[in-house]
Amino acid sequence: MTDSTSTSIMAPSGARRITLGWDANWKTSNPEIAFAGHSQSRTRLSLAEHISNYGRIPTGFTYSLVSDSLRVANLTGRGGAKFPFYKKLAAVYEADRKKGCYIVANGAESEPLSIKDSMLLRTNPHLVIDGLVMIAEVLGAKGAYIYVKDKEAHSAINAALRERRERGFTEAKVTVVDAPATYVAGQETSVIRRIEKGPALPKFSIERVAVAGVKGQPTLLSNVETFAHLGLILRFGADWYRSGRSGFDSGSRLVTVSGSVDRPGLYEVSSGVAIGDILREAKAHSVRAVLVGGYFGGWLNVRDENDLKLIYDDSTLGEKKLSIGAGILGVLSKETCPVVEAASIVDYLAEQSAGQCGPCIHGLPEISTAFARIALSSNVDRGITELKAVIPLVERRGGCQHPDGVIAHVRSTVAAFGEEIKLHKAGKCSVASSNHQSMLLPKNAQGNLAAASGR
Amino acid sequence: MKIVIDPTRCQGHGTCAALLAEYIEMDKWHYPILSKNQLKDSHMEAAKKAVQLCPELAIKIVEG
Ligand code: SF4
Ligand code: SF4
Repeated sequence: MTDSTSTSIMAPSGARRITLGWDANWKTSNPEIAFAGHSQSRTRLSLAEHISNYGRIPTGFTYSLVSDSLRVANLTGRGGAKFPFYKKLAAVYEADRKKGCYIVANGAESEPLSIKDSMLLRTNPHLVIDGLVMIAEVLGAKGAYIYVKDKEAHSAINAALRERRERGFTEAKVTVVDAPATYVAGQETSVIRRIEKGPALPKFSIERVAVAGVKGQPTLLSNVETFAHLGLILRFGADWYRSGRSGFDSGSRLVTVSGSVDRPGLYEVSSGVAIGDILREAKAHSVRAVLVGGYFGGWLNVRDENDLKLIYDDSTLGEKKLSIGAGILGVLSKETCPVVEAASIVDYLAEQSAGQCGPCIHGLPEISTAFARIALSSNVDRGITELKAVIPLVERRGGCQHPDGVIAHVRSTVAAFGEEIKLHKAGKCSVASSNHQSMLLPKNAQGNLAAASGR
Repeated sequence: MKIVIDPTRCQGHGTCAALLAEYIEMDKWHYPILSKNQLKDSHMEAAKKAVQLCPELAIKIVEG
């Protein structure tokens, strides 16, 4: 399974702004620009360049070979669930080998703070397609899909697929499906419904997608980045993949860094690197806190340098109830009150409800209102009492993960910034600013917390 | 057998809570909370009726 080209491609180590492992041409990618939907001229690797970089696409895999390789590589899903990929593969494999299954690469990337999936598809679509078609072949899948949010990524995949057809590749047919730019569009069941030509809204199911996904068939659904890693592991082998390893997770991952940094953008980070190392590369300054994992992730309270020594892998982060999530690090500066920032994000998320389930429709605005009372120091005790009453009425009662993600954000804020909340209780705030501009929300999503607190 | 309610369908009409008071209470927004879901045999008839009468077809009885 190991190819001779493996020697010329290094497993990445440390944190690099440019994703060397798979794209040496990557120019700076500024999240601000990605937010607004503009694209800079970033080069897509052509099929010829792709093959000269990584070598030919290997064939002739069996299920057991792939499964062993992924287990040794310890590849986890890159959409936030941190589930070992070989187990997911096994679930689909065992669910049904006769009726046929479907494979889906999820590039909905609905977290506004993430650009990794979009950038990966724009610049390196062949690597994702490689992983997708290899797995489709191994499982004898009936169909393979890439679910994608932005136009540039869509056309990059189309161009790549055209090149492959023209070169006479005989491989599984890949269908590209557009994801709408809504927050819930990336939920697993939203993806399935959209592929089935329905709305990109979550659907309630008692069965897992691995058992009953697209058209009720077993479906292997994972983040697009996971498939890119597959494209590398199946070429160069699990040992190559683990060669940059020093922590629990192996291999590298794509991390989007934004907020109070001079060099925002996408980083490829090897395992075992500290959060502080990544922030140093990104030239972070005046760091008050870091949102780890995205809006459904959690807060790291930064009191001094030591707090940034935390190793960026899920086992270490887990001790602080944090997780890598979708590979997002949002840096908050000392000029911003973290509780106000968190409350703004929660208010934004409350508005992103798909409006299908009662507890989510009614509960999220109540959570946001209560949280805003705490953030704006208007009535902290009342806010806390209301949160305690409403959270049990919402938690685990939605048709998808959305409300639970919001609750996780609230809990993490309370856990990380207890001292700040105490100040608020006394009618103070560590940051004297009446005019809050959120650092970590898209420009067009700056809500009105004061209005939320008065609901 | 157990009861499941699809929250994306349920519109909170409450018919189910009237039929299955032992299992379902309504929250303050008038949506059902399943306080327990393992069905006793003696309640099977009532549960089937709840399935039939839910105007949104939101209730199911499933294995488990
Ligand atoms: S829980 Fe909220 S976001 Fe999820 S399906 Fe229900 S209404 Fe939509
Ligand atoms: S009867 Fe159906 S729609 Fe009404 S509350 Fe019960 S589950 Fe919801």
